[in-house]
Amino acid sequence: MNNNQRTKKPSPFTRKYMIILTVCIITGFIIGFSYNSSKDKRTLSSASPYYEQENQYREELIVQQERNKELTDELAELEKKIRGYEKEYSSNEVQYERNIKEAQQLRLLLGIGSGEGKGIKVTLQDADYNPASTNPNDYIVHESHIFKVLNELKIAGAEAIAINGQRLKMNSYISCNGPVITVDGKQYPAPFVIEAVGKQDILLSALELTGGVFDQLLNEHVVVTFEKSELIQMQSINEEG
Amino acid sequence: MWLPLLGLIFGVMLGVLTDIQIPSVYENYLSIAVLAALDTMFGGIRAQLQQVYDDKVFISGFFFNILLAAGLAFLGVHIGVDLYLAAIFAFGVRLFQNIAVIRRILLTKLDNRRLKKSENS
Repeated sequence: MNNNQRTKKPSPFTRKYMIILTVCIITGFIIGFSYNSSKDKRTLSSASPYYEQENQYREELIVQQERNKELTDELAELEKKIRGYEKEYSSNEVQYERNIKEAQQLRLLLGIGSGEGKGIKVTLQDADYNPASTNPNDYIVHESHIFKVLNELKIAGAEAIAINGQRLKMNSYISCNGPVITVDGKQYPAPFVIEAVGKQDILLSALELTGGVFDQLLNEHVVVTFEKSELIQMQSINEEG
Repeated sequence: MWLPLLGLIFGVMLGVLTDIQIPSVYENYLSIAVLAALDTMFGGIRAQLQQVYDDKVFISGFFFNILLAAGLAFLGVHIGVDLYLAAIFAFGVRLFQNIAVIRRILLTKLDNRRLKKSENS
């Protein structure tokens, strides 16, 4: 046997040795692999007295972890939603501000908010009694006169209008009722003071157009006076009784 | 004779270092594969010592034993009978036999050497 080995030693890479080497490597690999894979199992079974308890705890832990995962998923989803909202918001911020301004404007027009600012005050007064005229309608202020003024003011961009302190709404009605006019069910006698909040110059120039409202009113013997007012305050319609 | 030993150590290192997790279902196969491999290895050593070693027998025995054992275990798992026990039994018995033969041969060799030494001196 000894002799046999010595004769083979000079050439260790013969076919036989390669085969043995291969087999040995494979065997070693299998052994090492199984050792490795059974290692965690051994550590698990080493605590066998507490195995049941451990198992129970582990199951509880798994349940908790699943719950955690669920909640985390939910959280992630909600955060995603929030991020979406934020993105939307940031992209719409300019538009948002514009919307707010518009809403303010609309509120002012509707009379929901109280108006305050520079404006003009137009007073319409019946003309003095004229003995030459037999018809009193010729020299008293009619609702149509007021309508003209109101429409002109609105067209010129008045933000809020009030008659004798009564704020006009979008759906206010004005009717002529003999010597008085009725605004939203409240009667007002002459003189009628129309207050408008807005840009004074524009409003006045709109009223003073040649052949415009003032001229027409003057033609119909209505006494019109106007003044610029630095601060006109109007209560909102909600504050009125 | 050192080359196979180095190969064995190399293989063990490789197996320990690889970080593959196999499902617990296949652990039966692994144990049988270990047994078959060990059996074939000791069989090879015995054959070498008895000077009846043959390459073809050795290599074919190695792979065929492993495959047979795995196939038996597979069959056993699928028909619900622990057939792998048969493989374990067979391989175990053969393993012990082989080791016993190797031990005897080595002992006789040792005795012969001692006799030679005493004759020389």
